[in-house]
Amino acid sequence: MANKSGNAYGLTVLFPIRSGLPKQAPDGMNDQTHADLVRLQLQRLAVNELSPMARVPNTYLSRLWVLDDVPYQGRPAVLEHLKSNYLVFSSNFHGELDDYLRGMWTAIEPEIRAILKYCVGFDRVTDVTTFIDYVKRCQVETTFFFNGSTDEPLAVQLKSLYLKQELAKFAAANQGKSAADLQAAFNEFVARVQPANLERPTWKAGAYHLDRAVLE
Amino acid sequence: MISQLDLGDIQGNIVKAYGRFGFPVARHVFYNISSAEVGRQFVTDITPLVTTSYPWTDPSTIPRVAMNIAFTYEGLRHLDVPEETLHGFSDEFSMGMKARRDIVGDTGPNHYSRWDPIWNLEERGEAQHVHMLVSINAKTEDFIEERYLQLQQILARAIAKFPEVPPPGVTQLTGHRGPGGALLDYQPSAALVDRWDKEHFGYSDGISGTFFRDCGEDPRLVIGGGKPTGKNPQTPEGWEPLEPGEFILGHEDESGAYPEAPGPPLFSKNGTFLVYRKLHQNVASFNAYLEQEGARYPGGKEALAAKFAGRWRNGAPLTRFPTEAEANQFVNEVTALQARVRGKTATPEERARLDELKLLFVAFDYDDDLEGTRCPFGSHTRRTNPRSGLMFAAKGGFGQPAFDTPAALSNRRRILRRGLPYGQVEDRPTDDGDHGVIMIILNADLSRQFEFVQQQWVNFGNDFRLANDKDPLLGNHGINVEGRGAGRMVIEGNARTNTPPYFCSNMPTFVETRGGDYFFVPSMTCLRMIGLGIVDPT
Repeated sequence: MANKSGNAYGLTVLFPIRSGLPKQAPDGMNDQTHADLVRLQLQRLAVNELSPMARVPNTYLSRLWVLDDVPYQGRPAVLEHLKSNYLVFSSNFHGELDDYLRGMWTAIEPEIRAILKYCVGFDRVTDVTTFIDYVKRCQVETTFFFNGSTDEPLAVQLKSLYLKQELAKFAAANQGKSAADLQAAFNEFVARVQPANLERPTWKAGAYHLDRAVLE
Repeated sequence: MISQLDLGDIQGNIVKAYGRFGFPVARHVFYNISSAEVGRQFVTDITPLVTTSYPWTDPSTIPRVAMNIAFTYEGLRHLDVPEETLHGFSDEFSMGMKARRDIVGDTGPNHYSRWDPIWNLEERGEAQHVHMLVSINAKTEDFIEERYLQLQQILARAIAKFPEVPPPGVTQLTGHRGPGGALLDYQPSAALVDRWDKEHFGYSDGISGTFFRDCGEDPRLVIGGGKPTGKNPQTPEGWEPLEPGEFILGHEDESGAYPEAPGPPLFSKNGTFLVYRKLHQNVASFNAYLEQEGARYPGGKEALAAKFAGRWRNGAPLTRFPTEAEANQFVNEVTALQARVRGKTATPEERARLDELKLLFVAFDYDDDLEGTRCPFGSHTRRTNPRSGLMFAAKGGFGQPAFDTPAALSNRRRILRRGLPYGQVEDRPTDDGDHGVIMIILNADLSRQFEFVQQQWVNFGNDFRLANDKDPLLGNHGINVEGRGAGRMVIEGNARTNTPPYFCSNMPTFVETRGGDYFFVPSMTCLRMIGLGIVDPT
């Protein structure tokens, strides 16, 4: 079945970008098309743990880019063009689409507005319900979906990665101890890392560098 | 069958590991070329002295001195090799080793700012002022000195031939750090006096060779030196020669193609690429770590040293000789038989026995050790020469294929290792003394072979499911937040004997780069073309 693999959802959305130039150009962006403005917004986004997408619950991996046109492969292929530029939003996440989009709107509504305002039809989005409808209208079925993550909710995965790293450190630091000492150390370890607490300590969503990953 | 390789056109260091022919000393001399005319004259005049790969079948044909030449990208440019030919070289060769530092791990203590002065002659205003390398290997230091003086005379004559050229034309570069910080005019290296087969950490070195088709070496060396077939590694059926194009340009390689090389074909055919690396060894840090960790490691210090390398320090491979007693018994028997052969008192049976035993140093794979219980996945030799370990995974450990990573393409990561230790025996117990290894590596593709091994297998662990753990001996381990060494190594336990795994942590960097670059080793034909200035890519 397309779009889903286990509990992972592969979302692909093509938002059509308005053609031509905006009525009023932002500073320093004279003569630039709507597509150019979208691209600049995307290029200014923070990345890794500071990315707005890191605040969207259950995002495994997501990408946003502007698709100007389809590339021409040369003869004997036929030279074709898209009817407009598109903002492509691709996301792999855990769970159901409506829940995910609701979480996304709640977490980063201002960022969504700043980007999507250059897209055709976004002016009819007024709230979370109309946002979900809008995304679904622009959704493309995701075929050949490969989920490179486990099937667990993101918080579980981040906690697992955190525990794995901490356990490796624990093992190195406590090897060779007597059973009693080891058990005492392990109890301390468990009290510190709180395996059942998905909130913290854990890894930050989006963290890329090991030495900046831990959320104490 | 007629050999497809014109061994007389191929420089000798490519095929011959000179150490095996009784050449325990070497000297590396580097030059800068400011005049193409003088440079070409010098090349022309020393080319007849260059040693080729033509087999020394009879011991009486082995010369007193072996000599080889190689050039950096800038060196070839300064010899007026045409632009179009130069553009045919790979990015990594034209960039040079310094510029590839993030890939080969030359950061932190390995950064070029800490290299010997010869690699940092900024006042010359050149990215790469080392243009030419002449390596001399010999039986004695006297023979080396003789050839070295001869080279200086030849250079003086070449310079004198062009009185109109502004001096110096060709300069022998100085600035190799030597004993007590003295700056030397050349880089010496030599087998250790007291222990000829050892390097400064005490390991027997240079055991595993690499065997390729038509190389002219003893065909028995295919065992352990060729590519694994999946059959019994103790028999010739377990191995096939690698294709020569992995090591020599202009010949078929393991992908069934000729390696990428600049034109015209005659320029690159029978040439190859050489990596020169001066690797300093922090002997005091190594000994201290071994003492400290070896006191805690259940097997003790020697076993820990063996786990780092994948071989006992006497050279016996762990996967074949898992206990120190077995390893010692094996090596003692080899040593005794060797003494009898040298003393000409060995019986034919003893000679045959010695041949059989010597094979055990190399005739193995990891099929009987898929869980790493004998030779850890992270050990130096299992990383840098995985043998069949990344290919034949059907019998894998942990209830699943151990390593089914065909993308690692082990047969395309093989290199030829040549090299000797440098430095003093007396100052070995310190970190800052003059002691290390002059590592010489030869391969047809710097990026696919040397750099890949360095980046993926020495300074990363993913192909061995070791996350970002590094080669314990060669890895650039970095410093953790507490300012201690950040190196880690897992020594696999054994579920059947209820032996838990052992974790080494806080490992400091034991080996640091102190200089080096990438060189092109031309064929004899190419050397003559360079000398004559007739390279024509059109």
